[in-house]
Amino acid sequence: MTEEEFINLYKNNLNKIFRFIYFRVDKTEIAQDLTAQVFLKVWQKMSLRGISQKRNDVAISNPTAFIFRVARNQIIDFYRQKNKTPISLEELKEKGIDIPQKSFVSKIEMSFEMENLKKSLQRIKPVYSEVIIWHYVDGLSTKEITQILNKNENNVRVLLHRALESLKKEVSKEV
Amino acid sequence: MLEKDLINKLNEFKEIEPNKDWAHWLLSNILTKSQQEVIIKPRVKLVSFSFIHQYQKVLASAAFAVLFVSTFAFAQTTLPGNPLYPVKTLTQNARIALSSKDYKSVVRLEIAKARLSDMTKTIDQEQVIALMSQNIQKDLQAIPQELKNISNKKIALQVSQKVGEQTKDLKNLSNNLLNNNNLNQAIDEAQDKVYGFIFSTEEEINQCPSYLQDKLANLQKYFTDNVQTLVQWPIDDITKVRTFLGDIDNDVKAGNCLEAMVKIDSINQILQIHSLDIKVETSTPEN
Repeated sequence: MTEEEFINLYKNNLNKIFRFIYFRVDKTEIAQDLTAQVFLKVWQKMSLRGISQKRNDVAISNPTAFIFRVARNQIIDFYRQKNKTPISLEELKEKGIDIPQKSFVSKIEMSFEMENLKKSLQRIKPVYSEVIIWHYVDGLSTKEITQILNKNENNVRVLLHRALESLKKEVSKEV
Repeated sequence: MLEKDLINKLNEFKEIEPNKDWAHWLLSNILTKSQQEVIIKPRVKLVSFSFIHQYQKVLASAAFAVLFVSTFAFAQTTLPGNPLYPVKTLTQNARIALSSKDYKSVVRLEIAKARLSDMTKTIDQEQVIALMSQNIQKDLQAIPQELKNISNKKIALQVSQKVGEQTKDLKNLSNNLLNNNNLNQAIDEAQDKVYGFIFSTEEEINQCPSYLQDKLANLQKYFTDNVQTLVQWPIDDITKVRTFLGDIDNDVKAGNCLEAMVKIDSINQILQIHSLDIKVETSTPEN
């Protein structure tokens, strides 16, 4: 991959990756750190792949899916290092543990309704919030999501449907 | 909420974007790093004995480490004009850079003394000596600001007294062995500023209780007047301020005025970060 190609890739995907991480980690500073690590890894891996000329590689065939996969792993690593599991409140409730809702402090100003929607997104299962962010916020197609999750298109559609249902349920609780 | 409304609302999250300056900084940083880190692969292989081949990485690292350490060790004994003298200067600069913020000026002057001593032992290197003399003058100019940056007043006083003694030694060395008027003048100026700083710090320490009272009153007024603004603060910062206020209370009870002042400065820094209108005075009030 040339420097110019990487710059284009960076410009096209920076906002999406930042948003995706921001929703999962809840803090701007941490989201910036993790985003930086993602793009550094992508650049390093893509450069090496570029040298070895393995053109059938996923990284080369669909760079966007590749970046999201790296971002997803980066978030998992982050929680692992912090001895935290990215477990949703919904899952905790299922296990009989009730977590008081913390007030979310954000530097990004949002309306009350949007703030509630964001909280709801963070409360549903991680994989549900991931597919919702990818598809409805970042505009990724179901085909691209299949490449990130290694699932077939039908599975992804079902997942999206369930995710939306779960989100609707969560939002109605807030109201 | 209908599914369509929900999807429309989700679309509004597209407005969340990272800071543009940060985005530019990150891109340039990644592209710079990549040149050094990405394509570094060992291409030379040792073809002799098989055991060497097995341990080639370890042996190469060890040889490199030995060479590196011995070069640095030898460089420490060199004088200006020697090809290895820049290595010595580099080590000294690294010592200054790595020293703690509070004691940077002491280390800086120790090294200035060593350099001055090297200069006196050097013959026929006028250009090098002139350059070194300029560097020592720059070091001397940096010292007053470094003393001001020390947040703990007791440490600031201790360090500035030590720096005062060091400048005396430097002056003696410079007077006895060199005849460099510019350097002597720079030492005199630095010495004056250090003594001035010692005087003002001593005064600040002696009058600490009354300053503390004023600052606490200002803080109290601020927090009473701006309760609404505080609601928007991150929870971490509010906790920090609460902890500091608790500690300040304990310090006041225990008579540790200076420690309390340092914590008030920390609260002020948090206030500054949040770009608030009122800044509690941190400088010494004029009498």
